[in-house]
Amino acid sequence: MLRYLARRLLIMIPTLFFTSAIIFTVINLPPSDYFSNYVAEIQAQGEKADTSRIDFLKKEYGFDKPPVQRYFLWVAGLLHGDYGYSFEYQLPVRDVVGDRLYLTMLVSFSTIIFTWLVAFPIGIYSATHQYSWADYGLTTLGLLGLAIPHFLLALLFMYFANSWFGLSIGGLMDPRYLNAPMSWDKLRSILAHLWIPVIIIGTAGTGAMIRSVRANLLEELQKQYVTTARAKGLHPFRTLMKYPFRLAMNFFISDIGSILPSVVSGAELVAIVLSLQTTGPLLVHALQTQDMYLAGSFLMFLATLTIVGVLISDIALAFLDPRIRLQGGSR
Amino acid sequence: MRVRLVAFLVAMLLVPQARAATETPYFAAKVAAGALPPVDARLPEHPRVVDLKAMGREPGKPGGTWHMLMGDQRDLRMVTLYSYARLVGFDTKLKLVADILESFEVQDDEVFTFHLRKGHRWSDGEPFTAEDFRYYWEDVALNTKLYPSGPEMGLTIGGEKPKFEVIDPWTVRYTWASPNPAFLPSLAGPQPLYIYMPAHYLKQFNPRYADKDELAKKVKAAHVKDWSALHERMSRQYRPENPDLPTLEPWRNTTAPPADFFVFERNPYYHRVDEAGRQLPYIDKIAMMLGTTNLIPAKVASGDADLQARYLNFEDYTFLKQAETVNHYRVDLWQQGYGSRAALMPNLNAADLVWRKILRDVQFRRALSLGINRHDINNVLFFGLARESGNTVLPDSPLFKPEYAQAYTNYDPDEANKLLDAAGLDRRDTSGFRLLPDGRRADIIVETAGSDPIETDILELVGDDFSKLGLHLYNHPSSRDAFRQRITSGQVIMSMAQGLDNAVPTRVFEPDALAPTSEAQFQWPLWGLNFESHGQQGEAVDIPEAQQLLDLLKQWRMAKHGDEKQSVWEQMLSINAQQVFTIGILNGTQQPVVVDQDLRNVPEKALFSFEPSSFFGLYMPDTFWYDRKGE
Repeated sequence: MLRYLARRLLIMIPTLFFTSAIIFTVINLPPSDYFSNYVAEIQAQGEKADTSRIDFLKKEYGFDKPPVQRYFLWVAGLLHGDYGYSFEYQLPVRDVVGDRLYLTMLVSFSTIIFTWLVAFPIGIYSATHQYSWADYGLTTLGLLGLAIPHFLLALLFMYFANSWFGLSIGGLMDPRYLNAPMSWDKLRSILAHLWIPVIIIGTAGTGAMIRSVRANLLEELQKQYVTTARAKGLHPFRTLMKYPFRLAMNFFISDIGSILPSVVSGAELVAIVLSLQTTGPLLVHALQTQDMYLAGSFLMFLATLTIVGVLISDIALAFLDPRIRLQGGSR
Repeated sequence: MRVRLVAFLVAMLLVPQARAATETPYFAAKVAAGALPPVDARLPEHPRVVDLKAMGREPGKPGGTWHMLMGDQRDLRMVTLYSYARLVGFDTKLKLVADILESFEVQDDEVFTFHLRKGHRWSDGEPFTAEDFRYYWEDVALNTKLYPSGPEMGLTIGGEKPKFEVIDPWTVRYTWASPNPAFLPSLAGPQPLYIYMPAHYLKQFNPRYADKDELAKKVKAAHVKDWSALHERMSRQYRPENPDLPTLEPWRNTTAPPADFFVFERNPYYHRVDEAGRQLPYIDKIAMMLGTTNLIPAKVASGDADLQARYLNFEDYTFLKQAETVNHYRVDLWQQGYGSRAALMPNLNAADLVWRKILRDVQFRRALSLGINRHDINNVLFFGLARESGNTVLPDSPLFKPEYAQAYTNYDPDEANKLLDAAGLDRRDTSGFRLLPDGRRADIIVETAGSDPIETDILELVGDDFSKLGLHLYNHPSSRDAFRQRITSGQVIMSMAQGLDNAVPTRVFEPDALAPTSEAQFQWPLWGLNFESHGQQGEAVDIPEAQQLLDLLKQWRMAKHGDEKQSVWEQMLSINAQQVFTIGILNGTQQPVVVDQDLRNVPEKALFSFEPSSFFGLYMPDTFWYDRKGE
């Protein structure tokens, strides 16, 4: 087990190295950089871009050096925990991401918990009452949730919330708390606004999870040990929870790997539509304006979380299901 | 050489100041507690008195918050634009008047003497004096670390620096050996040339004055490379990101970035008062909310903004109008100040030599202009509210002549076809489309920056018109950055963009937009680049008409009289109109402006442009006020 862990951790190093190289290359692929982009936008509005100012900034951020050198400077910084500098905000990336990260995690965790709370009972009910009217009805609802794009749902929600209830559009808290330090009132305001994005982002995940729970459970329920347990008079609920349900959980554990990065990045499109103060819009905007260190460091962070998440889910699976072996091929 | 002294006297200053200014309620508690001096001590000896009655407005009462919606942190500069406090500024008739300055004298456009207001203070209460000008000139503009390539363009004439003198603590003088007529307009511009900086605050970041260890600590804490980067970041006046930086504007930023919500508070030392002796601005605070720009029209319609035009488009007008009474605002339409809402720009520097020859043929450009049915476009897309015109100045400008607007703008496909035949496009393929002299089909690919949906709509209609000329038009949107690069490298034969940025100039404005002076002029990017880089990059102008424009620009800069400047402007406008370097389609398009019903003094009809109106700035938002009970 320890050897396995060490091997997996060592493999992470070249993986992350390659990822960083790919990220850097892709961000640098367009024939322009943040500054030319900035100048173009400024001049399009009729403003004058002071070229001597731009030269000053370019030099300060090392844009007079070749890309390879810039890449190594960036990676060296990452190793020291220095994520670089955001041109757009004129601040270290760490400060820019700052509070947004906590808000994003709050939204994401709430969404995940919402998904589980809704999906598991429905999935189990659908599986145990297969082909009943309730099963069909709930399945249809789940599929609808899966089929409607997030951002469309967000737009509809916003429109009706505004025209029927007069709610303000977008945002994760009342504007007056935006710059205030965290307080009970602020938390209450956040919680009052939180349910809209949670439901919107959660619907698709819920739909998918209902289907998975149902399918996995159905497979187990038809096995002979279930029939035996029932025949021996075990309480139906205990029968369900003790064996088939636990076995049906494997898919769920292996899914954890992909949950970690999404917790941090949030649903970008919905966040943009709803003007949430999360990291998603930040990342998209950074990519659009070629704010390369902000975008690059953030993507690196996501990549690291994905790799760690996969590792965690692999290990958790091994603990949960003794049939799964870590060393493959030693039959 | 005839020496002529032009003295600009501001009549307003001669009004004797009633020395009983009223305290602003917002500061009353602070003054009572002794944290702030009373209003009389905060105002300069001679504040600028804004006579609202004379302007046809009502004097108001202080209070309230101006809510505005913006896209991202860069939009902080909108407050600087809207505030429009400048050393000298334009009034609504585009006359230069002293604003922050008490008065100024100009001799032959060479010697500029500025008189400050005695007792004028920065927003932190420190005096604003000649030292702030000296600090900027000697310790910033001339510092090779802060300005590696020398002082900003507006301060040098052909690379020559001015002689700067401090006459006394309230008088400074700039002297050039040759005329610098663009100096005052650039000080008055929406994005002004800042020739002063709060020296008392910035000296702590300058090694010439600051303690070395202290400064090193600050540099380290800010995660920057050296003091120059720190100084640059702390001293941004145009984009007021630093809440500690003292300012002379009516509102000062109180929020440190990064944030999604910025609050600006009134400047207790602001230098303007109304005729009743009330210190301006009337509005206490500005609350700027950042968010997704596409959502802004929806948010405005739900009543989230008090005065908003940015990010609202003409397409939103009916939608905004619907919620007008429910959400207690009115929607006005202001005239946009572009020379053309969208203009076709044939790239005279195209890399394709066959196309370049065709594009440089004036008959071809005239034919395209004659081949556009502007009347239909106006009716289909703008409800007939726009003006069919070439890319030239608007009728509101004193330089306007109908012949500039009407040159080659009548719809005449027959004449256009004749001109195209004469331009060497007389051969056609089997389906009737014209062929280039080398046998390729003469397909015109028009590239756009892809951010403005109206451009796509206009191109759709222009494409229909061009098919009657035997030309196929394709629209190719791309990202703005790639768009610019492709134009400069000559890969684009034609692009579409907004026309003249300032289409309401007077003769005191520099006519640089009419001659090849910038890479951002898509009809001749390489010539513009050549001019910008003093001949280092790009290509030298090689057609006589463009060279003539450059010569005229030089003549304007050396001109001693207003009349000579006027004649230069007229010649340049006429050449541009006759040569159709850019093919304007419509101008005078409308900008929706949403105004809270309680907000007073906002004009119903006005010009909306970056230059010269600084968006709302020219109409003095510091005189807008809320007619609400309890505020």
